[in-house]
Amino acid sequence: MLVWFLPVFLVFLMIGLPVFFGLLAAPGILLFLNGQERDLTLLYRNLYNGMDSFPLMAIPFFMLAGEIMNRGGITHRLVEFSQALMGHLRGGLAHVNVLSSMLFAGLSGSAVADTSALGSMLIPAMEKQGYTRRFAAAITAASSVIGPIIPPSGIMIIYAYVMGESVAALFLAGLVPGAMVGIGLMLLIKLMADRYDFPVASRKFTWGERGQASLKAFFPLMTPIIILGGILIGVFTPTEAAAVAVAYALFISLFVLRTMRIGELGDVMGRAGLTSAVVLLLVGAAMSFKTVVSLSHTPQMLAEFILTLTANPLLLLFLVNLLLFVVGMFLDAGPAIIILGPILGPVFVGMGVDSIHFAIIMCVNLTVGLATPPMGLVLFVASAVSGEKVMSISRTILPFLAVEIIVIFLITYFPAISMTIPRLTGFAN
Amino acid sequence: QDFTIRAVANSNEEDEDYDGLQVFKSHVEAASNGRIAVEIYMGTQLCSNGAECLQGVADGSIDVYISTSGGAAGLFPYVQVLDLPYLMQDDRIAEKVLAGDFTREMRKMALADSGDTIRLMTIGNTGGWRNFANTKQRVQKPEDLAGMKLRTVVADLPQELVRALGASPTPIPWPELFTSLQTGVVEGTKNGITDIMSMKFPEAGLQYVTLDGHAYMAALWWMSNQKFMELPEDMRQVVVDGFYQLQQATFASPKRKSIPAYEEFVAGGGDLYVPTPEEKQAFADAAQPVYEWFTSNVDGGQDIFDLMKASVDEATAELQAERSADIN
Amino acid sequence: MALLGGVIRPISWINEHLLMLGRGVGIIAIAVMVAVTLLQVFCRYVLNNALPWPDEAARFCMLWMTGLMAPTAFRRGGFVAIDMLALALPRAAAAILNIFLMVVSLTVLVFAVQIGWSETTGLGGRFASASLYIPTAIDFSEWQRVPRSWMMASLLVGIVLLIMVNVELILRNVAQLLGVTDLPPIPHADTQGAE
Ligand code: NA
Ligand code: NA
Repeated sequence: MLVWFLPVFLVFLMIGLPVFFGLLAAPGILLFLNGQERDLTLLYRNLYNGMDSFPLMAIPFFMLAGEIMNRGGITHRLVEFSQALMGHLRGGLAHVNVLSSMLFAGLSGSAVADTSALGSMLIPAMEKQGYTRRFAAAITAASSVIGPIIPPSGIMIIYAYVMGESVAALFLAGLVPGAMVGIGLMLLIKLMADRYDFPVASRKFTWGERGQASLKAFFPLMTPIIILGGILIGVFTPTEAAAVAVAYALFISLFVLRTMRIGELGDVMGRAGLTSAVVLLLVGAAMSFKTVVSLSHTPQMLAEFILTLTANPLLLLFLVNLLLFVVGMFLDAGPAIIILGPILGPVFVGMGVDSIHFAIIMCVNLTVGLATPPMGLVLFVASAVSGEKVMSISRTILPFLAVEIIVIFLITYFPAISMTIPRLTGFAN
Repeated sequence: QDFTIRAVANSNEEDEDYDGLQVFKSHVEAASNGRIAVEIYMGTQLCSNGAECLQGVADGSIDVYISTSGGAAGLFPYVQVLDLPYLMQDDRIAEKVLAGDFTREMRKMALADSGDTIRLMTIGNTGGWRNFANTKQRVQKPEDLAGMKLRTVVADLPQELVRALGASPTPIPWPELFTSLQTGVVEGTKNGITDIMSMKFPEAGLQYVTLDGHAYMAALWWMSNQKFMELPEDMRQVVVDGFYQLQQATFASPKRKSIPAYEEFVAGGGDLYVPTPEEKQAFADAAQPVYEWFTSNVDGGQDIFDLMKASVDEATAELQAERSADIN
Repeated sequence: MALLGGVIRPISWINEHLLMLGRGVGIIAIAVMVAVTLLQVFCRYVLNNALPWPDEAARFCMLWMTGLMAPTAFRRGGFVAIDMLALALPRAAAAILNIFLMVVSLTVLVFAVQIGWSETTGLGGRFASASLYIPTAIDFSEWQRVPRSWMMASLLVGIVLLIMVNVELILRNVAQLLGVTDLPPIPHADTQGAE
């Protein structure tokens, strides 16, 4: 009986009820009908307690750090640096777009921030050089998904918290997959550039000029080194690292680059606070939802059902990737992880898939979902930033999505891609 | 089946709490002739900490819950008496004290403090004894801990103890502890051997354990008083006997579980040190400020401390009599 | 019609100003969160003397930030939802669908506020904080532990604010259905994503 909360939830979701209310309403209605009114209290209690957690603090902190870097003109320097390295290649600005996203990913955990920050700068620049606007918007959206794959990552923090995994292990596991997405996109750009004769962005920079650009980008580029290095040598925990990232971003924006004024700080914190409040409520609601997932024995039933389909983990991983991809078309990565993690995670870990490996499959797949039509969030942001229609960006992005799907299958079937770094550093077994 | 008891433990199925619950379930369901069913929820499926779960016990959404003393201290501060270092010398003393009137007195205090909603059923063990463990060096005397960053829970008593021994108490959330030991954010912790091994802390460099046994890891088993009192008297007796069985099981289980844990620790190159009686005394002497802190800062601290002390003395005398009868 | 507008205007004004206050406090809370977390890193790593309270203090601030700022996001349409159906429907049908969805949300919130009240004022709220104290004497000679209810009140207050926003949004949708168009718009209404 209780298991009907899942279809009820799906209906609510499809007709447009906010995910937060759906996560509470569907289980609530079923508990009520099932005569388990006393368990409604458990829903509320887990909502509150789900939010009352120190590791979750990293979410507002990384969002704030991202907002500050954006405001502080740090993005600008990353783009200049990328241009010095790759601007002279055929399709130079397209390469710069991807490389900037990879660098930006080391500072920010958000694909939306990436699209809006880099897109507003690079899309007009690409247009001026003769790229079509939809191509510029599409490559911006496609490369922005690297943001939450290379650490830090908002959705990995959420996954680690909801599923009880190590944030540090997930962060390290995302390094290579994130780089692979970036390199894959660049290879495709190179193919397209030769065939369609893309423009070069600039003459080749001298090593002296490159040195200058590196110097200007030095402070922003130090951020990921400080974050990961500080965690690895034991100065701070992953959660504290997020607060250090805020302090560092503030320090360079206010005092080193002097691109931000103290007066802008309130506005920046307000934006970060609003976004993270929504995410935190969702995480809390997910913990309530998880309670009813347990009470209804859904994972056990689902595992039995899946095993009647096939017991071959390789085939199952293929099927789960399909499922995640479809879900990712309609739902943002955060809510999707919150909903599906507790249901799918135990099933696959029970079948012998490493929990960190599975986490990375889920995070990368759902992150790519941010750029898939019809509901990909970054498509909308790219559309807003560029003024191009979502539909035409959606068509143009397809070849780039194909590259990303190939990467998803590579990391699915070659665990070493994601697991080697966390294993070598001792953060995974 | 007339009654369903919903029992919650925040640990996993490898834990002695689960062993205890299995014994409880088996006894209660058999002895009640099937009139009572026991549902076990392990982990954080229904609630995830002492405050949340005990509130569930109080309002009836959870019937049975096991907390550590730390988990209940926010509501019943005097339960921290169980954490006082070196007060109960060994298992035999502890088991005698906890099976006796000491637990009944504490039940009265908790019922009074919770408006007759939360009933302490029994006190067992979860994880044996707490010991000092670290990544740096063998610890034989309190001075060896000087300056060491030791992970403690956010609670005054363990922090006072660590400070009294000259180390630096460092609050780290349990899920972040492995990484923190590995990277050196903290250099040691105070836990039972089964927790140390199940969390794989030796892989994070935790290679030195000193068996000082500074705190008994008491497991407080709570029940919704309303649920209990609603049962007919014969069923209440079944439940009470069930908790006796559970207590016995949780006394025994950690002893059995710690054997492979110690073996595994040593086999992995771990240094296991048993302090001499003189060295143990040195730890106890250094820990004196904790008693003063407890009796003067905790509500009801003096009373429960006196009661504990008297119970320990009584148990010691009884035990001596029993021993001398047994060996002669 | 005029009556409806007359009801919505004051509610809108109250929400606008209450939420502005909430955002202000939320911003202070974020600043405190960052500050105490950094202080803890400094004390532990540099002074080798970790403090017991920053962890709990930061969580305290995070919960209040959430309770006070989420209602603004809700009012501005920032709660994540799949709104394809509403976009596909004709205007009137979409407004009716929106009203239905808002009523479902309101039902959730009304249940939540009742449970939240009994939770916050109940036994769980009496748990004493492990590390947060407030002075109970003017000369700071006596201190008392902060009860957990002070932290739990954050969600309760958040739900009350969400209810007020929800009522306003229902009324605005009804007004739209009836063709009332001269209402003050909600500033900064846009969608924002978590990723
Ligand atoms: Na990132
Ligand atoms: Na980009």
